[in-house]
Amino acid sequence: MKTSIISLLGSTLDAHGPRGKDRWNAWRPNVALAMQEDLHFDEFHLLYQSQFKGLADSVVRDIRTASPDTVVVPELMEFDDPWDFGEVYGKLYDYALARRFDREERDWYVHITTGSHVAQICLFLLNESHHLPGKLVQTSPSGKGSKRNCGPRGTYRVIDLELSRYDALARRFASEKRDDITSLKGGIETRNAAFNALIETVERVAVRSRDPILLTGPTGAGKSQLARRVYELRKAKGLLQGAFVDVNCATLRGDQATSALFGHRKGAYTGAAADRPGLLKAADGGLLFLDEIGELGADEQAMLLRAIEEKRFLPLGSDKEAESDFQLICGTNRDLRADVAAGRFREDLLSRIDLWSFRLPGLAERREDIEPNLDYELEQWNARTGKRLSFNKEARRRFLAWALDPATPWRGNFREFNACVTRLATLADGGRIAVADVEAEIARSHVASSKSHVESRTCNSRPATCDAAEGGQRLSDPLADVLGADFAERFDRFDLAQLRDVAEVCRASRTAAEAGKRLFAVSRLAKKTANDSDRLAKYLAKFGLSFRTLAADRESAN
Amino acid sequence: MISYHSSSELPRGGVPHPATAEASPVFLDGSFGEGGGQILRTSLSLSALTGRPLQLENIRAGREKPGLKRQHLAAVKAVAEICGAKTDGAELGSTTLSFSPGAIRGGAYRFDVGSAGSATLVAQTVLPVLLRAPEPSEVAITGGTHVPWAPTWDFFAESYLPQLHAMGARVEAECPMRGFYPAGGGEIRLRVEPFNEADARPFALEKTGALRRARVSAIVSGIQIAIAETEADILMEKFPELAFEREVREVESPGPGNAVWVSLEFERVTAVFSSIGEYDLSRKTVAHRVMNAVRKYLKTGAPACPHLADQLVVPIVALGGAGVFVKGKDTLHETTNWEVVRTFLPDARIEREAEPDCASATLRIALAEPGGKV
Repeated sequence: MKTSIISLLGSTLDAHGPRGKDRWNAWRPNVALAMQEDLHFDEFHLLYQSQFKGLADSVVRDIRTASPDTVVVPELMEFDDPWDFGEVYGKLYDYALARRFDREERDWYVHITTGSHVAQICLFLLNESHHLPGKLVQTSPSGKGSKRNCGPRGTYRVIDLELSRYDALARRFASEKRDDITSLKGGIETRNAAFNALIETVERVAVRSRDPILLTGPTGAGKSQLARRVYELRKAKGLLQGAFVDVNCATLRGDQATSALFGHRKGAYTGAAADRPGLLKAADGGLLFLDEIGELGADEQAMLLRAIEEKRFLPLGSDKEAESDFQLICGTNRDLRADVAAGRFREDLLSRIDLWSFRLPGLAERREDIEPNLDYELEQWNARTGKRLSFNKEARRRFLAWALDPATPWRGNFREFNACVTRLATLADGGRIAVADVEAEIARSHVASSKSHVESRTCNSRPATCDAAEGGQRLSDPLADVLGADFAERFDRFDLAQLRDVAEVCRASRTAAEAGKRLFAVSRLAKKTANDSDRLAKYLAKFGLSFRTLAADRESAN
Repeated sequence: MISYHSSSELPRGGVPHPATAEASPVFLDGSFGEGGGQILRTSLSLSALTGRPLQLENIRAGREKPGLKRQHLAAVKAVAEICGAKTDGAELGSTTLSFSPGAIRGGAYRFDVGSAGSATLVAQTVLPVLLRAPEPSEVAITGGTHVPWAPTWDFFAESYLPQLHAMGARVEAECPMRGFYPAGGGEIRLRVEPFNEADARPFALEKTGALRRARVSAIVSGIQIAIAETEADILMEKFPELAFEREVREVESPGPGNAVWVSLEFERVTAVFSSIGEYDLSRKTVAHRVMNAVRKYLKTGAPACPHLADQLVVPIVALGGAGVFVKGKDTLHETTNWEVVRTFLPDARIEREAEPDCASATLRIALAEPGGKV
């Protein structure tokens, strides 16, 4: 077994001692590593910063002298500030992700004696989280338990975090596992107990097994996202190295289906102008997600079965079998058992792919996850657009009341939910989603769902043309709570628009003075003596309201 | 003429006999006798030479870090490469090794021992094997040429090689770069001609003969030459009667280092006693180590110094099959070697005849059949 080590150049320790040939009498951790009598590296990755190029060159030379059969690979890694946790962790993390560690063919070591303390901690953490593979090596100038000088060679210690005796670390592992589960949930703090239990099982299977997984559940429930996250988790754990290939079988038909999946030789059929390796081949060493697998034709089912069992298949028009070692996740919203009974789906294929079968619940079955998903979707939107978009408090309350209402069917599940939020975010002005925006969206959804039991995916293309006020009158409005259900008949729409915002500010403020300060932030500057709370009280009185009633409404809302 | 006892062992003509394919394996306990690298190196050479598979257990058992270290592994890999051996357990820290040799092949080889390892020890391990290859060889070995606890290059070149020449071996060696502990980076090159059976002659080293030249040498790299001067001067002073030639110089080496040695060139043998300077060792101590070894040798009067005595056994067995030499008191290295030879070659005769004062002994080695001529 070949051995490789990853080590940072120690700008202080590796430069330790005199210059000239006498440097050999000083303990220099990286050179000392190459001098050990019972440790040998076939490959030595030395990470250095350009400002220490000279030192790096000299250390590389000395490692080669001390260990001529070691291949030294100097690698440039710049840190603007080697003491900046975020930067150092990020760069080392990227390095770990970018590098394809051949964990099976090589023993890996990570040297943690050199580099800033921050870098050492980051190396440790990345090793512990399996981003950096193998064992840790610590070097020191003197022997164990004594000040005995061991000369330039010093001593070393190998720390294998895999060993169970590192109890304290095992506890950390548990927290890492929690992170894995969180990552499978896409970072969404879901609250639905059944869903959380499901994800925990998926995590265990994803990390421990290479067997196929079948994800069932209604369309839009997040099968594709979960498959991708399983892929990402396995990749981060070093359990696979290839690509994630996502295929919707419903989009594949006839020769095109066979060729898309299994590839073809040039000229295999009309239109096959060149060789095509196919999606199974593309997933070699990686993960293949076949969504809507129930839509696959009989021929493709047979070929797929063989590809799963023997890791080989025959591309269209080829007389030579192709090989691909892929991990498989299938998705379907059909009852495959019924399809088997009806002769539409191969029983042997089903029993091969449903060893691990998980049913993802639809959104309506886990409404308690709507709120965390709302936050998640907004974050995603903000990350995508670089904007800081948020609901105003009232609008949020309104939206959640509607979304959580059992009368809202969410037939399109998360896909529909995502579309809703996208529309809200797109139409919102000035970075705030207001009640009016929400009302409009609710109206759109009502129109859409009352039209028919539309298939969820059309949710995306639903026209956004509803009038906000109409929605507002038909549905319960937070103003109704304080003004009475008939408020729209008693006040002008003109006034209500202003009142909504004022009420919202009041609810978000602890005192009337605080609310007044916000509401009159500009005009109060022109006054000698400001009495904002009085101005506010007078305004609210026109509607028969007071700060206290609005604040009380906040208390009850929370 | 030398006759071999068994066709399965050390066949005539230096080429392993096809019969070696079914040669019986040899089991050795690596912790026995000297219990370190010596038993490994000797058994590797003999396994390749006899074609008998080697199963070595308890390698360096009881040491602080048991098992194969880098320089041992370098020897295993080197011999394995030369004789196309299949190995199991050829890993750092491994305490067992199985080694199934194939046919010995000459050719161009390069072996890297690593900084602290002795290139000389690897040279001594592979040399007897390469002499039995059907083709000539060119070998480069990198590592230490002047490191503690191993013969120095100067011992190898001035003392050991001439004795191999005397056995009929055609070997040339050079040292284009010195390698000291800790940096290493030295290199030894060997040019080895296949041993010609017609050149085989019984080896005899029973008397030193007259002293022709005596020399004290001290070398440095990267440190003050004054250190070498002082070491040479101390030895000059201690042995005025030897009228040393004095040689003090700087040598090329990647790292710092210092060595001092005395060469006593007798008619039949050149004896070399060296000492390696270490970082925290005074030059006086370094010189005194040489002084003590020289005194002991001169007092004993046996031509084979302790190092030569343990290193001559394998070449004798490999080349001529018979030899006699006079040496000092038995060392653990020697007796271990004898046992390894006996294990591989059960009919080998190794007889020791001690002088009445026990200070020296005559060693006779023969691979002859009982009654065969020695």
